[in-house]
Amino acid sequence: MSEKKNLSQIEKIKTASDGLRGTLNESLHDEVTGAMREDDQAVIKFHGMYQQDDRDRREERAEKKLDRLYTFMIRLRLPGGFLTPEKWIAVHEIAGENSTGVIKITSRQTLQLHGILKGKIKPTIHSFSEAKLDSIATCGDINRNVLCSSHPKQSPIHEQVFAYADKISTMLMPKTKAYYEIWLDDEILVDKKEEVDPLYQDRYLPRKFKIAIAIPPNNDVDVFANDVGLIAIIENDELKGFNIAIGGGLSTTHGNTETYARLATIIGFADSEEKTMKAVYEIATIQRDYGNRSDRKLARLKYTLDRVGVDWFKEELEKRTGFALAPAKDYTFTDRKDYFGWQQNAEGLWYYTVFVENGRILDDEKVALKSALLEVAKTGKANFRFTCSQNLIISDIKESDKSNIQNILEQFAITVYTDATSIIRKNSMACVALPTCPLALAEAQRYLPSLIDKIEALLNKHALSDEEIIIRMTGCPNGCARSYAAEIGFVGTAPGKYNMHLGGDRIGERLNKMYKENLAEPEILQSLDALFQSYAKDRNTNETFGDFSLRQNWVTV
Amino acid sequence: MLTGPKLKILQDLVGSYSKEELIWVNGYISGKIDTAGTEIALQADTPARKMTIIYGTETGNSKKLATDLATKAKKINVIVKLASLDQYRLTDITKEENLFVIISTQGDGEPPIAAKKFYDHIHHNGFRLEQLKFSVLALGDTSYPLFCKTGEEVDEQLHKMGGKRMVPIKKCDVDYEADAEAWFTEVLETLHNAPAIAAPSIIKTVPQTAVKSNKKIYTANILSNINLNDRGSSKETYHMELFVEEQVDYLPGDSIGIMPENPVTVVNAIIDRTGINKNKLVKYKETEYTIFDLLKKKLNISFLHERVVKKYAAIVKQEIPETKMDLIDLLRIYPAKDATVFEEVLQALPAQSPRIFTIASSHAAHSGEVHLTVEKHNFSVNEISKTGICSDYLAQVKPNDTFEFFVQKNKRFKLPAADKDILMIGPGTGIAAFRSFISERDATGATGKNWLFFGEEHFVSDFLYQTEIQNWFETGVLSKVNLAFSKDQPENIMVHHRLLEHGKEVYDWIASGAYTYLCGEKAPMSVEVENTLLTIFENHGGFSKEAAKEYFEKLKEEGRYSKDVY
Ligand code: SRM
Ligand SMILES: Cc1cc2nc3c(=O)[nH]c(=O)nc-3n(C[C@H](O)[C@H](O)[C@H](O)COP(=O)(O)OP(=O)(O)OC[C@H]3O[C@@H](n4cnc5c(N)ncnc54)[C@H](O)[C@@H]3O)c2cc1C
Ligand SMILES: Cc1cc2nc3c(=O)[nH]c(=O)nc-3n(C[C@H](O)[C@H](O)[C@H](O)COP(=O)(O)O)c2cc1C
Ligand code: SF4
Repeated sequence: MSEKKNLSQIEKIKTASDGLRGTLNESLHDEVTGAMREDDQAVIKFHGMYQQDDRDRREERAEKKLDRLYTFMIRLRLPGGFLTPEKWIAVHEIAGENSTGVIKITSRQTLQLHGILKGKIKPTIHSFSEAKLDSIATCGDINRNVLCSSHPKQSPIHEQVFAYADKISTMLMPKTKAYYEIWLDDEILVDKKEEVDPLYQDRYLPRKFKIAIAIPPNNDVDVFANDVGLIAIIENDELKGFNIAIGGGLSTTHGNTETYARLATIIGFADSEEKTMKAVYEIATIQRDYGNRSDRKLARLKYTLDRVGVDWFKEELEKRTGFALAPAKDYTFTDRKDYFGWQQNAEGLWYYTVFVENGRILDDEKVALKSALLEVAKTGKANFRFTCSQNLIISDIKESDKSNIQNILEQFAITVYTDATSIIRKNSMACVALPTCPLALAEAQRYLPSLIDKIEALLNKHALSDEEIIIRMTGCPNGCARSYAAEIGFVGTAPGKYNMHLGGDRIGERLNKMYKENLAEPEILQSLDALFQSYAKDRNTNETFGDFSLRQNWVTV
Repeated sequence: MLTGPKLKILQDLVGSYSKEELIWVNGYISGKIDTAGTEIALQADTPARKMTIIYGTETGNSKKLATDLATKAKKINVIVKLASLDQYRLTDITKEENLFVIISTQGDGEPPIAAKKFYDHIHHNGFRLEQLKFSVLALGDTSYPLFCKTGEEVDEQLHKMGGKRMVPIKKCDVDYEADAEAWFTEVLETLHNAPAIAAPSIIKTVPQTAVKSNKKIYTANILSNINLNDRGSSKETYHMELFVEEQVDYLPGDSIGIMPENPVTVVNAIIDRTGINKNKLVKYKETEYTIFDLLKKKLNISFLHERVVKKYAAIVKQEIPETKMDLIDLLRIYPAKDATVFEEVLQALPAQSPRIFTIASSHAAHSGEVHLTVEKHNFSVNEISKTGICSDYLAQVKPNDTFEFFVQKNKRFKLPAADKDILMIGPGTGIAAFRSFISERDATGATGKNWLFFGEEHFVSDFLYQTEIQNWFETGVLSKVNLAFSKDQPENIMVHHRLLEHGKEVYDWIASGAYTYLCGEKAPMSVEVENTLLTIFENHGGFSKEAAKEYFEKLKEEGRYSKDVY
């Protein structure tokens, strides 16, 4: 059974938290600090919040005898990344009132607001709840936001598959009412039996737990980067079921050789909704019971799986579900991308995918995206979908409304902006990193744009500007922008320093490997210049940069 | 032959007198001996007499002295009526026979708020006081240009209205004890010998200069000067750490005084406009200065009092509305004909007043340094943004700069015994005094509990000394902290609202012996806080409105409520 001996601190906090209540109310009433109490900082994660502070301001504030500028980041629960226009307007307004104003699309299809002061958390969650939005379980050792291929044009039955994201998310919700009590002032639950939680019990999972659903041939969700990946098997527009992959996870820790990035292993096929749901549920219970609860660095399902072995895991799963999974079905991924600009789905509804640099929606000198989207939402004629590459799809537009939306997009120069953005930039992403992320070792979203400027020049120089090379950057080895699953990955090691990874494939079925360590910008550009040159010269037809890197043995995978 | 109190009285008397006074006293005593022959003794059996003592106070010194005098008088069977000037029924004055006024000067030569009505009453109502015998004890501070102005004016006015000076006015500097004692004795004695009194005529001729307490001037070397407010704040509050070569004589609760210098730009503007030679030597109050130094270091040239503007108008022979104005503006709008006229103007200008800053440090905790908490005054006069002279100067000083200061003792604002609990209310720069109090109690391991109320505009940018307050709270030096950030929510929440919220506990603390201190802005803050305290006494002490007031008075008398407001 799971290692009872020396449970990690977080484990003790969870079980002692009285259903994730902790001492949150006391923390909220501590007047002298903008922070939560130590243990509560772990507890609020389960409520979808992270305590952060503006790392740019630490030194200066310390000199002023001011405490760190503590604020909170709230992450919404949006299975499949979908919002109605009304909800978008709500988020827009809440962001303006209580947060930095920037609406951040994450690499897991949801939205984050940063910079919320302790005193503003309750009002913020109240407003969200009025708009029927919540942040339950978007962080913490629990099932996270469930992903699904975002673009409806990908399949006539996209909606049917998409519905699974919500069903799974609901199935794996914690039972505690703490969220409603603490943030929404519901009256205190006396009979705690009501919230007995057969899945999470009082200890929850050993670590975060991530689920994604992909609709081939596009692997836009990076399905193999998840603890559980479901690959929809569709035969002549009919959903047959799902291939189930388990044990994906990207994060590593510098200098900790026991940690590694891992792609999920396909363990079989489930041919019905009931079986699929049951399988997913029991995979979670196995991880609950067998995951490592003493060392959080080795607690994800990927380590559990490699410890117990795939065969054992399948047996145990069969025991728990009462059925055996069928052998996996064939499928093929050909892409891992967003379809920018106007697209039409089977029903004839229209979709416009907007390029959102690193998922940050605001009005800046480049483009007034935030205002534009508000205008679009106000028409009430378009839904909003978010992609796993931090972009946004203005969705489900009737033919008759298209010109109306088109006008707004033109009026705010969104179309020009999206069209004018280079292919390389559209295929790149970076994580948040500084100044809010406490774990950041180097810049990411604040730096990548300027690095891309220079890479664009290099590609130009070698006539490679049309190549759909995937570049991803993260400020630390946690890999939040999935830098290990990129053709060119940059992993921050220290301010201005990055490990450069090469050899990942284009569709997310092969991870990259470290090519060079601790590079500063000049070395990065030098290396790329040389690599691009030989790629332009010696590649085979249709050979991707990732595959070429491997053939050249720049790295060995 | 004289012993005990008598001897002391004599010693105090003699010790406190100037040379001229001693000469006079000498004559006076011998005169006494020849007449009645009976020695002056303030015996209990002497026939009863009446006296009324009224006082006008801001920080309580006058009140303390008034009470002392009353006690002394009662001892010798005098029937005493004692009243604060805001309690005193003004119409009674026409009935008074023996009236003794103890009053301080505030602002730039203005009466204490509590005495304003009385002051106006005697100045504006054309009645006579033929029957009145009176004397004035004026409290003041020689570091202010208009030393004891209010006392002088009251003395003058009562005299004008027909009152007889029973004992001449006595002007006291900040260490007023000796002077006051001497005046007491004189008063009681004269009262005792009222009919026999031949003195007045003589007395009036006697010069009554105060014993000037020459304050020690220290030189501060700036160690550091940082703006405590974060970006985006509408405030600028500077925390200054000053190193002083010699041991500075101060206790928590004391303040320092600084003579500000006028900005060179303004001084030059004035010189250019008037065409006067900046190096010309002129005399001002017995001392010679160059025009430049006089304008920069000695004179008050900004926001001149109506009184001064009037004089200016007379000199330049122009009609000027009665309002406060800067000298440069006066010169611009109502120019002085030429340099000579301007020299007249210079003589009419008041000397610069010191600016007082509460000390924010403690010897025990800050190894002899002097720390200040200085808010830069930013304000605008018809759309032109201006800054306060001294605070603007202090906001700009850099490490290694130096300036001079003196210590302004505040006897009425001191920590109680180490085992007593204290309640500190100090929004804004009021926190200065309490940073000093808490540091001191922390460093000396005082056992009493400490409760702090602080307020400002925004938690994020204006929480002055946040990290220090957090440490005191975590280590238990502060057992309670309550904060009010007025602009963090739609409704303006201030410290007095927090007091009210915690009213029950506040009352419990005070009822069980806690000492309460208030420091910071005089109006509206201190007024609101005091009204709130009264409400709390009513709500939780079960007092009637009146009883609550009395309870508050009692606390003040017992020194269990003190304030340092400005
Ligand atoms: C917002 C987001 C990056 C982005 O720019 O989009 C993000 C941001 C953060 N991630 Fe992440 N992660 C995000 C997707 C990912 C992904 C990608 C994915 O899931 O597809 C990964 C790699 C896949 C995986 O899980 O292995 C990822 C692996 C981590 C880890 C490493 C987990 C591990 O197994 O060790 C951490 C650190 C941890 O959990 O201890 C982390 C922690 C964090 C925190 C919360 C830092 C912290 O723990 O305090 C970051 C907050 C920064 C900020 O200020 O917003 N984040 N994080 C993504 C939000 C996803 C969501 O909506 O839920
Ligand atoms: C006992 C005591 C303790 C004090 N403790 C502190 C302390 O700890 N910290 C602190 O910061 N202050 C303290 N003060 C206040 C301080 O002494 C000064 O009064 C304050 O710094 C302003 O002085 P200044 O020379 O900067 O401004 P000034 O030039 O004297 O101006 C003061 C005010 O007068 C008005 N004014 C001036 N010129 C004009 C004009 N031309 N037109 C219109 N209005 C004008 C403005 O309202 C301005 O704010 C204390 C005061 C006292 C009496
Ligand atoms: C803001 C302020 C202004 C003052 N202005 C004068 C003044 O103009 N002239 C003066 O002689 N004393 C002045 N003083 C000194 C007081 O009169 C002196 O401190 C006196 O002891 C106060 O007595 P009280 O406690 O009865 O008010 C001033 C004091 C303060 C705090
Ligand atoms: S990858 Fe590292 S730096 Fe970037 S957001 Fe995630 S934890 Fe922060």
